[in-house]
Amino acid sequence: MTGAGRGVVRVEGLVKTFVDEGRGEVRAVDGIDFTCRPGEIFGLLGANGAGKTTTLRVLSTILAPTEGRAVVDGHDVVRTPEAVRRSLGFHSASTALYPRLTARETLEFFAAVNGYPAHLVEARVEALMERFGIAAWADARVDNLSSGMKQKVSIARTVAHDPPVLIFDEPSVGLDVMSALELRGLIAELRDQGKTILLSTHIMTEAERLCDRIAILHRGRILGEGTLDELRSATSLHYLEDIFVHLVRGSA
Amino acid sequence: MNSVLLPVLLYPVLLWVEITALTFVTGLSERTPARIALVDPPPAHEALLDTMSGRGAALEHARGLSPALERLDAGDLDAVVRFTPSLGEEALLADNFRAEIHYDRALERSRRARDRVDDAVSAYRDAWLGRETEALGIQPGSLEPFDVEMRNVSTGEDVGAALLSLMIPMFLVIAVALGCLVPAIDTTAGERERGTWETLLSTGASRGSIVTAKYLYVASFGAMAGVLNATAMTVVLGPVMAPLQSLQGGGPALAVSLSATTWLMMVLGAAALALFFAAAMMLLAGFAHTFKDGQAMVTPVFYLALIPLVLGQQSDRTLTPALAAIPVANVAMMIRDAIRGVFLWPMIAETLLVSGALVALCLRLARSTLGYEDFLLGAHRGGFWSFARDRMRRGRGAAPAGTEAG
Repeated sequence: MTGAGRGVVRVEGLVKTFVDEGRGEVRAVDGIDFTCRPGEIFGLLGANGAGKTTTLRVLSTILAPTEGRAVVDGHDVVRTPEAVRRSLGFHSASTALYPRLTARETLEFFAAVNGYPAHLVEARVEALMERFGIAAWADARVDNLSSGMKQKVSIARTVAHDPPVLIFDEPSVGLDVMSALELRGLIAELRDQGKTILLSTHIMTEAERLCDRIAILHRGRILGEGTLDELRSATSLHYLEDIFVHLVRGSA
Repeated sequence: MNSVLLPVLLYPVLLWVEITALTFVTGLSERTPARIALVDPPPAHEALLDTMSGRGAALEHARGLSPALERLDAGDLDAVVRFTPSLGEEALLADNFRAEIHYDRALERSRRARDRVDDAVSAYRDAWLGRETEALGIQPGSLEPFDVEMRNVSTGEDVGAALLSLMIPMFLVIAVALGCLVPAIDTTAGERERGTWETLLSTGASRGSIVTAKYLYVASFGAMAGVLNATAMTVVLGPVMAPLQSLQGGGPALAVSLSATTWLMMVLGAAALALFFAAAMMLLAGFAHTFKDGQAMVTPVFYLALIPLVLGQQSDRTLTPALAAIPVANVAMMIRDAIRGVFLWPMIAETLLVSGALVALCLRLARSTLGYEDFLLGAHRGGFWSFARDRMRRGRGAAPAGTEAG
């Protein structure tokens, strides 16, 4: 382990560019810096296309950074991508489950493939199924589960190998009110267990209620960062929505 | 788009190419002269020899039946024709003769030689009868000269091996290709369609191990499909074909069996084919976003594989350095030779080298393709060829394209 300590996520001068057929080079992420510590939920708040997903994909090593540096749990995303991925759980709308596996097989597979000690997998899976309330459906195929239950299996899958860092990319998209509420409860519980949590969202109430610190992202740049109180003090505005609009308009 | 355009435009072209290749190969076979030895040809019927030559026979005179049959057995001749004077009532007809055609039923070129001699004798008989009956003032139907008798020199094992060598290589190639087809699409386009591709990429497993695991899964599925199909065919071919053999006029009892070395060659061939098909199919299907698109992108590989297979179906040929350089056909011919008990080791080595080089090329392409983020995230809209064209246009210095999100 190098650089930052266990569970810390550090991003320095991160740039990610794409080549677009029509627009040429696009800077999806344009030199951002932030640090996220254990026991903290760090929110990336921004509109569609702000660079949230790209940032999280770089952190989960699915994309390589164009410039800058990112370190997850002491591992550099470019130099040791496998170690980074073993240290984190990545959950997004585009990380679906294998429909033909059962809930139990899903958790066993992801715990094993992420390097969780083989002799502890069974006990870990049992504990997760109890905690997430999926024990009764443990042997049902994923494609036969309700969307709420699938969401629970998906989050259990994300934490199956007990990683110190968790990344949630717009986790409540498509969920009904009760499921979203339950999901927020689970994420808060994981934070209380000492996990480092990065959460991207464009839902203001979700960011307000869940995030310890928030970075407002617009066109690949961080316009403001801090606790909700710090953001309020900096802008003299109370509601996060107003703060967001104020910062985005001010950057134009 | 691909699932509509490829079947509508590409498949008919591929079908046309296959039919043309088949016609070409058949033409080549027909043009090949039949090597026929004549024993005691009747001096009064020299014109018959001209008729035989005119029907694609390369004639030579043999000193006796036994040495000629030995050469037929060694494969130096395609047929031996022995002429004997007619006996009994048939001898009443001046210069009548009897022709024994010795041939190897297990060899197509030998069967072709037999047919050419038979056709030539029939044609000569018709012309001769026309002249003679006119001179004698009698009806042509009252005379039946120039009796022809067929004598097959092949054993039941030879015929069984010939049947197996005709069917197994072709079905093995088809079974391996089909065995690879669905897993290749499922592990690539299927992952994208289900949305599990990114889930897998975000796990602690390395990209290399993910791709290797998928590749070996597809290849082993294809190889197993090929070997199991070939085994099943070997087991059932004897009982199925034996009644047909008796319908065709009997001959030695059909015996279908394969030696351990032949099995080994078959497994080796199936593995070589599966490694190639798996690499090629996964490379193409990797660009598809849905299973249906994947099918449209990969099916041409299946059709393309059938084109060289047509060359391999020229049953009289054995592997040559040139044929061993033709992918798919070389493996099919290697297996066919092995079934017939022919093991040309330098050609087998060349076949395996060519197959290995092809697999290495596909894997190299797959490896460099995996390095591009727009391929990895499915941002590229189009297939392998448009992707390769884009990359060549952008040049080496350009940054790889990616998907823009969030």
